[in-house]
Order: sequence, then structure tokens, then C-alpha cells
Amino acid sequence: MTGSSLHGGPDPMARAAVVSVPARSVARPWVSHNTRRMMFGYTLLAPAALYVMLLVAAPFLFSLYLAVSDASVGDPVAHFVGLENFRAAVEMDLFWLALRNSVVFFVVAAVLKSLLGTSLAFLLLQNFKGKKLIRGLVVIPFTLPIAISVLSWKWMYDSQFSVINWVLSRLGLIGQFGSEGWPVWLGDPKLALAACILVNVWRTFPFSAIVLLAGFTSVPVEVLDAAKVDGCTFFQRFRHVVAPMIFPILMIGFLFDTVFTLSDLSVVYLLTQGGPANATKILPVLAYQIGIQAGNLGRGAAIALFLVPLLLPALILVLRNIKRREW
Amino acid sequence: MARVLTEARTVPPMSQRRKDIRRHLLIYAGLLPFLIIAVFPIYWMLITAFKQDPDLYRMDHIPFWFNMKPTLRNFDILFNQTNYGAWLLNTFTISAWVSAITLLTAVPAGYALARLKLPGAENTGIAIFLTYLVPPIILFLPLSRIVAELGLQDSWWSLVVVYPTFTIPFCTWLLMGFFKTVPMEIEEAARVDGCGQAGAFLRVILPISLPGVLTSVIFAFTLSMQDFLYGLAFVSPGDQKPVPVGVPTELIRGDVYYWGSLMGAALLVGLPVAVLYNFFLDRFIQGITGGIGK
Repeated sequence: MTGSSLHGGPDPMARAAVVSVPARSVARPWVSHNTRRMMFGYTLLAPAALYVMLLVAAPFLFSLYLAVSDASVGDPVAHFVGLENFRAAVEMDLFWLALRNSVVFFVVAAVLKSLLGTSLAFLLLQNFKGKKLIRGLVVIPFTLPIAISVLSWKWMYDSQFSVINWVLSRLGLIGQFGSEGWPVWLGDPKLALAACILVNVWRTFPFSAIVLLAGFTSVPVEVLDAAKVDGCTFFQRFRHVVAPMIFPILMIGFLFDTVFTLSDLSVVYLLTQGGPANATKILPVLAYQIGIQAGNLGRGAAIALFLVPLLLPALILVLRNIKRREW
Repeated sequence: MARVLTEARTVPPMSQRRKDIRRHLLIYAGLLPFLIIAVFPIYWMLITAFKQDPDLYRMDHIPFWFNMKPTLRNFDILFNQTNYGAWLLNTFTISAWVSAITLLTAVPAGYALARLKLPGAENTGIAIFLTYLVPPIILFLPLSRIVAELGLQDSWWSLVVVYPTFTIPFCTWLLMGFFKTVPMEIEEAARVDGCGQAGAFLRVILPISLPGVLTSVIFAFTLSMQDFLYGLAFVSPGDQKPVPVGVPTELIRGDVYYWGSLMGAALLVGLPVAVLYNFFLDRFIQGITGGIGK
């Protein structure tokens, strides 16, 4: 319609629309105004929506297809093989080991980071001098690109020149290098998974703390004052006012962490590549090694998809919480 | 904020000061372990980067400071004997492209979802945001096929195509929040003054939302830097990698570690990113917890 008015067609109404702005809204019925706004809206939305559909939604569906095919890196022609890849995965001992490691990794890390994160959050909640600076320093592990900070840990876990061992040795907690008690963090199957978990905890405890802080700051002071006036004790206030109000935020933070921790490959891949003796083999590493390194796309996709049932509850809960909070 | 959980007690002014000092000391004592845990690995990288090689391997000296003269040799090796210069260039070129793609798609989308009262805008926004939560480990195998179809395998262009899959969802969500905070009256005033729909967006809303747009650029950059898997899976030639992928995969050869150069390479890019991200961390947290537009 705009086009025809600009070209100055014979329609007097259209002419009027060009000349005077107020007349336009009179001349056009509501429906067309709405339609125009929606057309404009969908045009603006289209590029982002298309990108996400083509490169996230479509690949996700494609991965479902890969998982039921015998696609491989070398052979471009894939055949449908049904649930064969899933069956093969479930029959691999390595798969079960990886699943177990993933779950252990996730649970232990979650417990540790929530303990550390909570204590840090309570400390940062206080008013003290230099808070901004200290907060900025404490969150560095989370803001440093992961592949970069893992390198630092790899060096600190060095089999001989580990600075951690140097300290422990000087404190008399372990023996000299070469003795029985010298921990080889990344080479000992009993220690390697713990070493990897520690890096994940180190990286994400500031995140837990900051999410918790965000939760606390979202509680209006008036509400707390009201509770105080009503005679609530500190613990009553915490239990009945603060906790329910910050719960949704905590939930979302926790679930984000679930997704990122369970699906992260970089820490383990860079530290141990899943070794020694598969002690740190987790699902993402297994999926990568089978899918890319061994070139078995179908089998790799199937293993990666086993993460979905682990992640799905997290996604659903995020969805519900985001919706309920509105803005 | 301290008022939320601690109570402001009324005490006589004399002991107030001493109490305050004691309180500060207690808090600092509590924070010290956290500070050490958080910062030590970074300090360790920093000092390793400037140490001479033999200084790294002496067990009898205290390792926390220089026992031999500090050196810049590690950086010399980095720039003259490795592809580090190329990785730096790749990193910045990739980030620039990703930021451009992200802005061109996320800014209009965020505006449309926040402002134009489209039917189902709320749910569409949430759906786009949720794609941010689909982990790369599920997408990288199908994407490797797509990258190959496009003929982009083994080139950093593949990362330009792939990184927006997580920057667009996040930034669209972030910008929705920003656009919601711009008062509706401003836009209406612009319309009354004769701006069309597009004019109001381009000439009035966009300039006001510049901080939000800049924040999106920062996130497009920092989130791209957090990737490791895509870079590892799609780009294997040594000169095509971005820094976070090139450093751990190319500088470690077999059992020989050039720790000094490794740490220097990592920090040179890691620290600026960490500092930048630091300033915008609260935005990130607000973004993912859904409280942006408050």
C-alpha cells in the first residue's frame, strides 16, 4: 500500500495519505495497519529465525538421522540402519564407563561448586571495602576462555614439576619426587578424574556465587522489612521469604551449569584425552573420538544423543522457570 | 545489599569503629582462600611466561618468583617460530565477522520480538533463546557435514558460519531486554513526527539502544572465544585456527612442552577477554536468569 501511495496513484485517499500523517490512520482500517506492523516484524525476525532453524534446528534433526544411519567421514552415502548405532553403543563397555564417569563428574562437581559458591556468595553479600576489585578477581576463572585456563592446570598437574606437588612436598604431606607417595595427577587412573573435576569446579564456582548473588539482590528490601516488622527471625525470613524468591534463579543457574558441565569436552580432552586407561572417558569425549577421530558419524551422533535424556529435564525446567518469571 | 541478610545494629559510636574493623578482617580472611584459588593459576601462567626455560625445572628453589632473570624469549619463539600471529589474526577476523552477522540478525529480531506485539512473540523469544542451550557436542557432527557441503572444512570461515549458532540466540534474548526498557512514548513521538516504522527503529530506537548493541558485540566476541569443540573438529590446518584452539593443539607436540611460550600465548589473548567479560558478567547472568528487562 505504501508503494502505491508513493507512486501517487489516482486514488485520492492514497494521495491524502502521503500529504498528511494523521489522515493516514483515518484512511487505513485497523486491520491493514496491524498487518503492516506484523509484516515489518516478521521481516525483521526472519534472518535470525532462519539462521537458528538452518544451523541449530536442522542439524539437530540431522543428528537424529545420522544416529540411525551408517554415515561415516569417508563414505558420503549413508544407509538407514535403524537403532543399530544405539544398540552397538549400549553393548560397548566403554559406553557404560563413559556414562558412569559423566554422572560422577557431574554430581561431584555440582556438590563442590554449590558449597564453594554459596560460601563465596555470602561473603560477597557483605559490605566491605574493595568489594568490586575482589569480586572482579574471584570471577576470573569463569571469564577466562576455557581452553586457555585448562593449559595452566595442565602445567600445574605436570608429572614432575607440578607446583601443587611442590607445595604438598614442602608441607611434608607427600614424599619426594620418585617416591611412592608422589601423585601423578593426570597419569594415575585413581587421580585423573578427580583432577579433571577440580578444574571444572575451579572454573564454575564463581558462576554459582554470582548467580546466587543475583538471586539475593532480586529480593526487594521492602519485603524483608515487612517480614521483620511482622516479627520474623533471621532464619524465618530466609526460609519463608528469601529462599522461595531466589529459587527460580538458582534453578536456572543450576540447570545452565548442568548443560555446560555434562556437554563440555574441553577440560577432559585437553588434560587427559579420556585416559589413563579410560579413567576420565566421559560421553562427550567418547562421542568426539568415535565421531570425528574414528570417522563413524552415525555411532558418534548416537552417543552424543544419549546426553539428551540427561539434559532434557534441565531444559524443561529452564523453560518453565523462564516463563513463570515473565519480565 | 548487606541489609538483605545482615541487620544494621545500633551500637555506640566508640565501639562501632572497632567492630567495623573486626568485621572487615573477618570478611577478608574468609575471602582469602577463594582469592588464592581463583587467581593463583593465572599468576602461575603469568610468571611461567616470563621465566627462562631452566628456571621452570628447578625443584630446589621456591618456584613462585624468578630465580633467574626474566626473559621475553618465550614470546619471541611464539611470534617467530609458530603460527601464533596467524591465529591472532584469525581470532580477530572471525570475531569481527561473527559480531557483524550477530548484529545484523539479532538486533532486528530482538526489536521485533520486544516491540511489535507479534503474536507469540514471547514464546518465539524463548524458543530462540533455548537453542542457546543445545550443546555443541550434539550439533558438531551434523554441522561437520554441513560445513563440508559448503566447502568450508579446514578453513576458519567454517567458524564464522557456526559461531552465530550460539551468539544469535543469546544476543537476541539480551537485546529483547534492552529494547523493552526503551519507553514506548519515545517511539510514539517519533511516529507522530512523521517517522515510518523503519524510520522510528533506525533513527530513534537504535541510537538509544547503542549500549545494548555494544554489549552484544562484546558477547559475540567473548562467547566465540569460549569455543573449543567446533574449532577442534572443523579446522585442522595449523594456520587456520583461532588462538584458543591453536595454542593447545599446535604448541604441544608429543611429549615436548614449551610451557613458557604456551602460557604466554594463552594469556596474551585470555587476559583481555577475561577483563572484558568481567565488566559484562552481570549482564550475562541477568540474561540467562531471564531478568533482563526489569
